[in-house]
Amino acid sequence: MLMKIWPKETHLKFMNLRMAGTLLSVVLLTASVFFLATRGLNFGVDFAGGTAMEINATETVNEGTVRAAIPFSADVNAAVGTDARRIVVVKFGEAPEALLGPEFQALTTAEKAERASGATNELVVRSLVEKLGIDPGTDLLKNDTVGPKVSKELFRDGITALVVALILMLAYIWYRFEWQFSIGAVAALAHDVIITLGVFSFLQLEFNLTTIAALLTIIGYSMNDTVVVFDRVREERRKYKKMPDRDVIDLALNSTLSRTLLTSGTTLLALLAIFFLGGPVLRGMSFALIWGIVIGTYSSIFIASSIVLSLGMDLTQKTVDDTPGFQGVG
Amino acid sequence: MLQFPLWKVILIVLTLAWGVVMALPNVVNMSGAPGFMPREGVNLGLDLRGGVYLEMEIRSEDVIGGRLEVFARDVRTALARTDSADPVTHLAEVNGQTMTIKLTRADEAGNFPVEAAIARIDKVNGPLEGGLAGGKTYEVTRAGPDSILVTVPENSENLMMADALAKTETIVRRRVDPDGVAEISITPSGVDRLVLEAPGEPDPERLKSLLSRDGRMTFNIVDDSPSAITAAQAGVVKPGYRLLSGPTTGDLLVRSIPEIVGSDIANASQGNDEANRPQINFRLNSNGARKFFETTRVNTNKRFAIVLDDVIMSAPNINEPIAGGNVRITGDFTMEEAQDLAAIISAGEMPAKLQFLDQRTVSATLGRDSINAGIRASVIGILLVAGFMILAYNLLGIFAVASLAANVVLIFGALSGLGATLTLPGIAGIILTIGMAVDANVLVFERIREEQQSGRSLLTSVQAGYERALSTILDANITTLIAAAILYLLGSGPVKGFAATLGIGILTSVFTAFVVTRWLTVMWIKTFKTKKLSV
Repeated sequence: MLMKIWPKETHLKFMNLRMAGTLLSVVLLTASVFFLATRGLNFGVDFAGGTAMEINATETVNEGTVRAAIPFSADVNAAVGTDARRIVVVKFGEAPEALLGPEFQALTTAEKAERASGATNELVVRSLVEKLGIDPGTDLLKNDTVGPKVSKELFRDGITALVVALILMLAYIWYRFEWQFSIGAVAALAHDVIITLGVFSFLQLEFNLTTIAALLTIIGYSMNDTVVVFDRVREERRKYKKMPDRDVIDLALNSTLSRTLLTSGTTLLALLAIFFLGGPVLRGMSFALIWGIVIGTYSSIFIASSIVLSLGMDLTQKTVDDTPGFQGVG
Repeated sequence: MLQFPLWKVILIVLTLAWGVVMALPNVVNMSGAPGFMPREGVNLGLDLRGGVYLEMEIRSEDVIGGRLEVFARDVRTALARTDSADPVTHLAEVNGQTMTIKLTRADEAGNFPVEAAIARIDKVNGPLEGGLAGGKTYEVTRAGPDSILVTVPENSENLMMADALAKTETIVRRRVDPDGVAEISITPSGVDRLVLEAPGEPDPERLKSLLSRDGRMTFNIVDDSPSAITAAQAGVVKPGYRLLSGPTTGDLLVRSIPEIVGSDIANASQGNDEANRPQINFRLNSNGARKFFETTRVNTNKRFAIVLDDVIMSAPNINEPIAGGNVRITGDFTMEEAQDLAAIISAGEMPAKLQFLDQRTVSATLGRDSINAGIRASVIGILLVAGFMILAYNLLGIFAVASLAANVVLIFGALSGLGATLTLPGIAGIILTIGMAVDANVLVFERIREEQQSGRSLLTSVQAGYERALSTILDANITTLIAAAILYLLGSGPVKGFAATLGIGILTSVFTAFVVTRWLTVMWIKTFKTKKLSV
């Protein structure tokens, strides 16, 4: 039914728009780099270290009382948690040394660096229990403390995962297609990652471990989209040997367009469900994924394909029949 | 592409049946099921059931220092052997990862017997543990006219760390779960880390206080001469001694090298003294009892300090040599303190102090909320995708939705069967896979539509659609699978859970989209002799 509304064939001249697309991407990329350089990323405790707490809000436990109960300056905010629960979100790094007691002050410098986050956490929990009478078992919904050592490792591992995944995917594209496609795919992926980071910087959304997972998924998804388009470009190229590259790419984009929109559509529907119903823990991740699908679809059309067009296709290099073909049918 | 011989059909049905059987415990209570049926559903991560996650580290300098202190006692025995007419007097000082032995008595010519001492020390310097590469545990070298330096070679250090980590794991388990009934998982990570995961609602502060104690139980000979203590309080500590204090004893000087250590203790328990106050009883093993008798014989009329984690718990006078190895500590304990201390002493001494690197607590309430939100999001997401597919492709859409259902069952079956852990990001991974799973169907359906438009018969179009879409589907999914594999290998905690479901989801979705949907379509066309499908 839906497909009846959709025209049987589209003949959109995508490649005529590629200057506009390039311009838009350059503007977005410049803005992203600018925001990343000036505002940076809002790292969560995973990467910045320190503590993030969620406390069940009650009549006596609210933003003000919690802020007053903590003996140093901490970042305290009221928020709505999972299942519409009213909560107080508290974030802090390390308390001034004087507050951490003589036992802490007697430690060596190296030990202090490692234990400060943990000791600060204990201090805050103690004050909240004493001053507000909260029960650490039930009212303290969440309490995460990450020391400096682990946060550095998590960041390093996250970046490693990102880089290794990129390299492996590029190697795979190179193996399956020609080098022009590989470059088109790299550029599209780099474009997606940088602009997504730019959005995270502009909106100051929390950047944590799950954001890295989301970034990798965006890369996978964008690559998926690019591969589908490339497959079709290669097929049409072989079919219409005399047709100019520009028309071949437009033809491929048009014939994969309804697939692109349908798949993006279903994936977006599923992600919107997570964004609105999955609770705050998944909100950052689902936001990144939603954004990534939009930008990934866009970049397959306007970045990956137009780079292949600029570099030109030379299909004589790989004569292997990659598509299983159409034997015995007719 | 269109032929489904019997063996293929059986294989498809068996795979789906396996998924159903494995996934069943997630929705039905299987406790009454026959033995061959799986009973356990998918493991829920701590973020979904609540619990405490602790990442702890032992530091090599602590481990090596502890080992050197033990070696110092062997050195003392070796240099002061009773059969030797000429014991070599010395002072040993452990400094981080090395130990310096200073000889204190020169011969008539003013020379210190350094070479003789090294020869004697080498006799107690055992071969490297494991003994594969040969070599000695410690490297003993002359460091000056009157001093000897003991260092730990790298391969020896590695063995010590491995040994220390294994011991720490056992001790942690015995402390947090003395009866072995709690569902607490303790797993080593790397060469110097332990990860503890305690689901449910354990008190994180109690866990930490149980684990933050070294449990370093030692018996040290005391020097309680007032002048030496006063000097030490002023900062001049007698060499070879340490200034410690205790709630009942005040400041005392004790010998740095203990006489009895934790490994000499067989077990400890909470008991009561004559006045019915809680006390800690413990029994030394045969080696400990022998050393205890020997020490009390040599040091009669001195005081013996019982030290736990550098705090003197009591320092009774040695009135006479004590045989049998039964010892008790009396003091100002509550019943609970005595029980906890007994558990800590029983579990033994940590090879090194545990450092807490990463601590995450989720309350069971938040876990329940998250599961509810996750289930709600999944159900709505699946319904939306299903509705969209049926609207877009009519009958083929229904087949796709059927294979989507099979996909969900297989994902849960695989997660349960593989013992994978489902986390909140993992639920997001499942929903994302379901959104993307239709991609393979869409690719095929679009091809079928094109083929039908160019005037081919339905069966030919279906065959062509699947054949032509195959390489695209494989290329597209392999790239995502690469991302999932990398995430799984390099990720930690919640990210690993996400990667596991994403990876499993990609495999099952290719199977269901490419095999199950195709099978359903071909069966339908052959059964009903359909000539045209509206797509």
